Amino acid sequence: MNLITALKFYITRMTEESGPGMKVLLMDKQTTSIVSLLYSQSEIFLKEVYLFERIDANVRNEGLKHLKCIVFIRPTKENIECLCNELRYPKYGTYYIYFSNIIAKADIKLLAESDEQEVVREVHEYYADYLAISPHLFSLGINTCSQGLLWNPVHLHRTVSGLISVLLSIKKCPYIRYQNSSEMAKRLAEKIREVLSKESNSFEFKQDSPPILLIVDRRDDPVTPLLNQWTYQAMVHELLTINNNRVNLSHVKGISKELREVVLSAEHDEFYANNLYLNFGEIGQTIKELMDEFQKKAKKHQKVESIADMKNFVETYPLFKKLSGTVSKHVTVVGELSSLVEKHHLLQVSELEQELSCQSDHSMQLQKIKELINNQQIREIDVVRLVMLYALHYEKYANNDINGLLNLLKNRGVSDKYVKLVYNILEYSGINARQNNLFDREAVAKITKKLFKGLSGVDNIYTQHTPLLNETLEDLIKGKLSLQTFPYLGSTMMSKKPQDIIVFMIGGTTYEESLTVHNLNKQNPGIKIILGGTTIHNSASFLEEIQHATSGILTKYKNNNN
Amino acid sequence: MAGSEEVLEGFLCPICVTDFKAPVQLTKHFEDFHNDDPEILKSLKDLFGKAKKKILKQDEMSCSFANSVPSTTRLQRSPESNWEPQEIGVMRSHTKYFKEIRNMRLERYSTETNKLLIRLDKLLNNLPTDPVDRKVHERAIVPWIDDKDVKLCPICAKSFHVARRKHHCRLCGAVMCHNCTIFLSLQDAKKMTSPVSVQDDSAVSPTSERPISERIVRAGIGLTKLARSPSSGSLNSVLSLVNDSTGSEQHFRICTHCANLLDAREKQKAKHFDKPIVCQFYEKMRAYMKEASQHVKMYNKMWESLNEGESTYNLEDAQALRIKIAKLGENIDLISKRISVLGTRCVENPPQDQELRLHHMVRVSAMIFLKEELLSVQALPSEQRYAELQKERQRRIEARIAYERQLEEEQRERSKEQRRKETWNLEIRPTVKENQPNVVLDQSQGWGPSSVAPIMPSSMDPIIEQMSNLRAYIKQARADCRYDEVATLESNLKELQSVYFTMKQSNNSDG
Repeated sequence: MNLITALKFYITRMTEESGPGMKVLLMDKQTTSIVSLLYSQSEIFLKEVYLFERIDANVRNEGLKHLKCIVFIRPTKENIECLCNELRYPKYGTYYIYFSNIIAKADIKLLAESDEQEVVREVHEYYADYLAISPHLFSLGINTCSQGLLWNPVHLHRTVSGLISVLLSIKKCPYIRYQNSSEMAKRLAEKIREVLSKESNSFEFKQDSPPILLIVDRRDDPVTPLLNQWTYQAMVHELLTINNNRVNLSHVKGISKELREVVLSAEHDEFYANNLYLNFGEIGQTIKELMDEFQKKAKKHQKVESIADMKNFVETYPLFKKLSGTVSKHVTVVGELSSLVEKHHLLQVSELEQELSCQSDHSMQLQKIKELINNQQIREIDVVRLVMLYALHYEKYANNDINGLLNLLKNRGVSDKYVKLVYNILEYSGINARQNNLFDREAVAKITKKLFKGLSGVDNIYTQHTPLLNETLEDLIKGKLSLQTFPYLGSTMMSKKPQDIIVFMIGGTTYEESLTVHNLNKQNPGIKIILGGTTIHNSASFLEEIQHATSGILTKYKNNNN
Repeated sequence: MAGSEEVLEGFLCPICVTDFKAPVQLTKHFEDFHNDDPEILKSLKDLFGKAKKKILKQDEMSCSFANSVPSTTRLQRSPESNWEPQEIGVMRSHTKYFKEIRNMRLERYSTETNKLLIRLDKLLNNLPTDPVDRKVHERAIVPWIDDKDVKLCPICAKSFHVARRKHHCRLCGAVMCHNCTIFLSLQDAKKMTSPVSVQDDSAVSPTSERPISERIVRAGIGLTKLARSPSSGSLNSVLSLVNDSTGSEQHFRICTHCANLLDAREKQKAKHFDKPIVCQFYEKMRAYMKEASQHVKMYNKMWESLNEGESTYNLEDAQALRIKIAKLGENIDLISKRISVLGTRCVENPPQDQELRLHHMVRVSAMIFLKEELLSVQALPSEQRYAELQKERQRRIEARIAYERQLEEEQRERSKEQRRKETWNLEIRPTVKENQPNVVLDQSQGWGPSSVAPIMPSSMDPIIEQMSNLRAYIKQARADCRYDEVATLESNLKELQSVYFTMKQSNNSDG
């Protein structure tokens, strides 16, 4: 059930099927991201692929007839059209066509009729139709999947095909459970069952125990994506944004040219692989160790005097260059993170965020929020997030002061867009939309945790919060997940406890949840959990999602409150 | 790496010095075979704890860059990587369906093209030189449409008159105006219909996957292949060059429709032979790369063995291999460099952007290959150093044997059952010579001394013959860089030599 392995199998097969010779890979926008997440350039060179072209590029040139062309595209209307054109006037010698998902017979017919020059050798479906970020984490790259709190039909279609391809690539035919309170979850579940029964031939696997596909909705837990993160991967995404494993650092002052954009890939960067789940403090420590070691080596390096010595040095330490690259990269990233934390007083903000999400001390928290709103050094977006958390927490609290806080925001000159977002989030995920009592749960969890942490003496106030998903999954593993809140689709039910679980979060998941799943996998040997989402959110992208999701619906909260 | 040589590594049993793969195995072995001494067992168990700490600490401080990051040893890999092996996901092939549809559609074109080719062949056959006879000949093969039925040119829809006369296409017999016809020179027509022998045979590619069209042609008039000179460009350009000097006898008038069909076919044929120079370079480079990486694998094995002071491989062999690898590296570098500048100096037909990019990428990939694969080849110990290493190893082995002997003697004094178990220890004591497998080589193993076959008279002593055979094998194996085989063969040779020696001795004493 390793997603990265599953996709690599497919890509390797693609490059091998065409035999030896120089190859060009013709892709669309999405498959380009899919492949670039898996392989570094040098790895793909090893497969004799030297050129990467986009099928939707408009450049018409003579082409290179001595190249083999591997076409890897999604079976969309536009792509088929482009490919038909390409085949009518082929630029390359031979074509090996791979669709990332199920394609209609009619489309194949169209293609076959365009292939007048008989350049096509193979046509296949290889189900590599999702972005594999970690072995247990995938995304579909849909940033705003809903409109008016319902599915955008285009995105629903993409989500269904993405999930189907996940299932096919790991050869699983699941039982489906979905979040009862969510209309979108139910709709997605039904759509998937439709495809499963339609394509039942492809879904005949020998499986010891059928896996569970659990469909949940982001609206049930709006808190997680609003929080500041302190584990490396999540933190980089929150503060610098990871896009296809790439982090843009070009805005950093005095950055060297090769560090404008750095690649953070656990597949190719051992340091990152080992540290992506560690918290910020630990990272600092490891980086220091790494630098010490590097400097020790560097000093040794300087002692090298003659050319022969140097050659010898390189011969003995071929990884020298690689290591030095890793060091400077991570030093830069961590340095940038810590300067951001300091500049925006994020520790202070985060402390209050955690309190708001895990404790119920209304008056004190209200007091603190007011203080931070009046503190001009805190970013607007951060105070808005605090007010959002407050609003989510104390929405039904008799003495809540949401309006007072909003007025404070307005007085501070916070833009209307942000102020409106506070209403939007209540619309998106107010107490009526959630099926779990998010904050009571946290409170209980907090008490037990405090006891436990008090004993061990380690208490990190910045990582008190655990995502709701943790509890849901733990219940599911124990076989105790409520049939009311998460019913099975259809009448069949699983009697055994599940071993393989695929969780999909509509509205995007987060790296904090990815860490949760990682830990659950570690704690429960024998149980395999895969997490997916329409996208991977940080707070900024989540706010965008909310704004989109709530556009075009009546804002009852504003009316009630004003 | 250097520090580890004095110390035996692994989970060694302190009594019989057997190497075990894991502490669990060692503890079990100890409990099974040396259970008479509970104190040792206890201390052993303690030791693992300490040793583990020590090893981990050592790794952290280790100077070797091979460990790259100190933290790697400390952290366990992600749980997902321990998931059971998986197989490739579902795949569905549409190739068959695709080809069915394509062939159905293309059959129409190909039959038409084939018809034209057959006619062309017939026209060329015994073509009379006299214009009148020729017209008869042409009309006999292709029925011409009656002039009166055609009022307008079917292609440009203009009316015919004195200045715009009617012409017949010699291939389909239709009527059209002069502007809508094209001349196909006899030379080109011959090229189209004649088998490939006109052109270079080397360019012939296997036709197994060629579609029906070709099979029909072959069945019809026995044509195998069509070819044309690479200089001629597309057919259109040839057709436009009407050779005025020789007049109308030297070409056929054909309509544009027929010309297009023929042209499409020619283009497709040409694609098969069109193999630019870069392909040759590239193929050579790949071959070198493949060879090099095989050699590097072998070399690393030899390097490790040599650095251990073992005598399995020859130091000279390793050096030779290293030089070979370096040469291959140079070649790869050279070829990739040539690819990267290919055609850049050509003024009239400069390579396009994409082509340049391709060449550049090939070069980059070659550089990566050189950097990652070949530059990581480590230097060999000097002969002096190697001698030292060998001595060290000898000392180590001797020390171990002495230690074992000592133990043996101690053990001997113990009870009988104990002794029975001890023999087990003796059996697995690693001895370099005895462990060599007796490899018997025969032709079925894939290679043999074809060129260097022994030319010894058969009357010779079979052992001597065998030995000379072996020497030939060794020579060939060395030439092929199969140093593993060299090693086994050499040990075989040594054995033979010693057998021969003892035999001679006994013979001498007998006689």
